[in-house]
Amino acid sequence: MRQPKSKNLGSRIAAALAVLLLASIFFSLGIWQLDRAAALKASLVTATTVDQNIVSLESIASANTSLTPNALNRQVKVSGRYIANFKAPNQPDATGKLDDWEVSLLQVGSSGGILVVRGLWSERLLNSGIEQPMVIDVVGQLHARQDGDRADNSPGVISRLDSAVIVGITDIDLFDGYILAVREGHNGDEFLRTRVSAEKLVSRIPGFYWQHLSYVVIWWLMAGVVLYLPFYRRKVAL
Amino acid sequence: MKSEIFRFRIMAIIAGVMSLLLWFVDIPVAYFINNGEWKEKVAWIPFVHGWIYFVYVITAIQFATKARWPIMKMFGLILAGTLPIASLIAERRIVRRYS
Repeated sequence: MRQPKSKNLGSRIAAALAVLLLASIFFSLGIWQLDRAAALKASLVTATTVDQNIVSLESIASANTSLTPNALNRQVKVSGRYIANFKAPNQPDATGKLDDWEVSLLQVGSSGGILVVRGLWSERLLNSGIEQPMVIDVVGQLHARQDGDRADNSPGVISRLDSAVIVGITDIDLFDGYILAVREGHNGDEFLRTRVSAEKLVSRIPGFYWQHLSYVVIWWLMAGVVLYLPFYRRKVAL
Repeated sequence: MKSEIFRFRIMAIIAGVMSLLLWFVDIPVAYFINNGEWKEKVAWIPFVHGWIYFVYVITAIQFATKARWPIMKMFGLILAGTLPIASLIAERRIVRRYS
C-alpha cells in the first residue's frame, strides 16, 4: 500500500531539516575549532614576546583571578612585605640547568599576595638585612603558574611555582602565577644577588595549533558526509 | 556486501582500541593528573582518534546502507565508535549476523 502523498512530503521535509540541522552543528563545531586555533596562535605571540615596558602588577592582574594572556610575561613592579619564605627545588633556568630557588610570598596591600622568585637558594643569606616590616620594591617578569611538580610539598618547601600549593597555609588572597625578580630594593637601595633566568616561554592554551586545524577539517568533512548521506542512501536503494 | 563488512570490521577494531586509549589514558592524564610532560606525550591520542573515527563513520554508513538498516540503527552504529568497547561489540554482532 502506498503512503499518502502529503505524509511522504512531510517526512521528506522533516528528514531534510534534520540533515540541515546536523550539518550546521558540525559546521559550527568546525568554526569553534577554527577560533580555538586562532586563539592559540595569538597566545603564542603573546607568550613568546616580552614587552619591556614596566607596569604595575595591579594594573594587569588581580588576586584570585587567572592571569589573562595579555598579562603573561609582562615586566611588572610591585611593592609589599615578605611574609614567608620557601625553597623551590629542581627549578630549570633558561639553559635547562636545575637548581634550588628561593621564593618568597610578597604581601601586596592589605590582603593580596604573590610568589616572588628572588634567586638561588644557596644565596638566601646574602641579604640578611631584609626584615618583615620593610617595604620591598620588586621589579620582575610575571609568569604563568607551573603545571608539574618538581618536588614534594613539605614545610618550607613548595613543589612547584604555583600559588595553589600554599593556599592552605595563608589567609591572604593570592595572585595567579609568580614574579621572577630582576631587581629588589628598599628605599632606593638595591639588594644585589644572582638573579635566575626563566625557562623557555611556552603557550598556556592546551593543545596544538595543527591539532585544532585538523579538527576543523574533520568536523567539516562530517558535515559533508551528513549532507551526502540522503543521496547515497537513495543511490544504493535504486 | 562482503567488502563493506570487512572494511567496517577493520575500522571498528581500530576505533575500539583508540576509544579505550582516549577514555582510559588521554582523558585521565589531561584532566585528572597534573603533569605537563605526560599531557604532551598523550596529545597524539585525540588527534589520531578524530581521524580514525571519521573513517569509522564512513565505513559504518556504507555497511548500514548496504544492509538496509533504518536510519536510527545506523545512528546507533555511528555512536558506538565514540564509546570504549561498543564498536568492538558491534563488530562481533555484525560478524555473527552477516558472515
